[in-house]
Amino acid sequence: MTPTAIGILLVILSSLIEGFGELFLKKSRLQRQRQIFWVLSGVSVFVVQMSVYTAALRFLAVGAAFAMSSLSFVFVALLSKWLLREEVTPIKWLGIALIMTGTSLIGGFA
Amino acid sequence: MASSTGFPYKLTFGLALTIVIDTVVQLAWRIAAQDLPETPSWDVVGVVLGQPLFLLVVMLMLCQLFNWLQVLGQADLSFAQPFTSLSRITVSLASVYFLHERLAPEQIAGIVMVCAGAWCISQTARNTARNETPSP
Repeated sequence: MTPTAIGILLVILSSLIEGFGELFLKKSRLQRQRQIFWVLSGVSVFVVQMSVYTAALRFLAVGAAFAMSSLSFVFVALLSKWLLREEVTPIKWLGIALIMTGTSLIGGFA
Repeated sequence: MASSTGFPYKLTFGLALTIVIDTVVQLAWRIAAQDLPETPSWDVVGVVLGQPLFLLVVMLMLCQLFNWLQVLGQADLSFAQPFTSLSRITVSLASVYFLHERLAPEQIAGIVMVCAGAWCISQTARNTARNETPSP
């Protein structure tokens, strides 16, 4: 596996982990009786995510990694839909697609 | 005072605060990182702890966590989280103003697309109507 491929995989993994971190924080608002557990889980997951993203930067340029990290918007939407039963309408997907492309352009040409 | 049918002032304020804090954190981080040694070593820890800007970053991150939890209490995750992308615009614009960086035409196109995406999401319902508690 090439260093670039490893970097890409790490950024995808980092974005997925970020999605779970956000999911846990949202859980803390939905399950008040386990609020502290979910907040601590979310924060711990973000620490792991930062470590994975930092590792990815050893293999990828910052601009490319930043652009790819916008995948987190897609993961958050998918996890919200599947695990939180949130409504993700076509216009929301359109908005997410525009944001992903836009943030990729902003980060990719930085 | 916000109501379920009126303009969500509290949510809007929370999202705006998220963007402001994120922008300040990113800028402070960039400025503080300029003083870090280029080669990773334990010296970095000493430099970080001695930098008031890094301590400011940590404090702001805690404020951000508290504020974000408030936001998530008022809106769906899939509604609120995409709005955080707006901070990438404010960071870019602040970098132009404060750090004298330049924006490429592609980045300006990206800013327009992010704004359009945020507008699309603002047109959707901020909370899913729930008949049952989601599974743990």
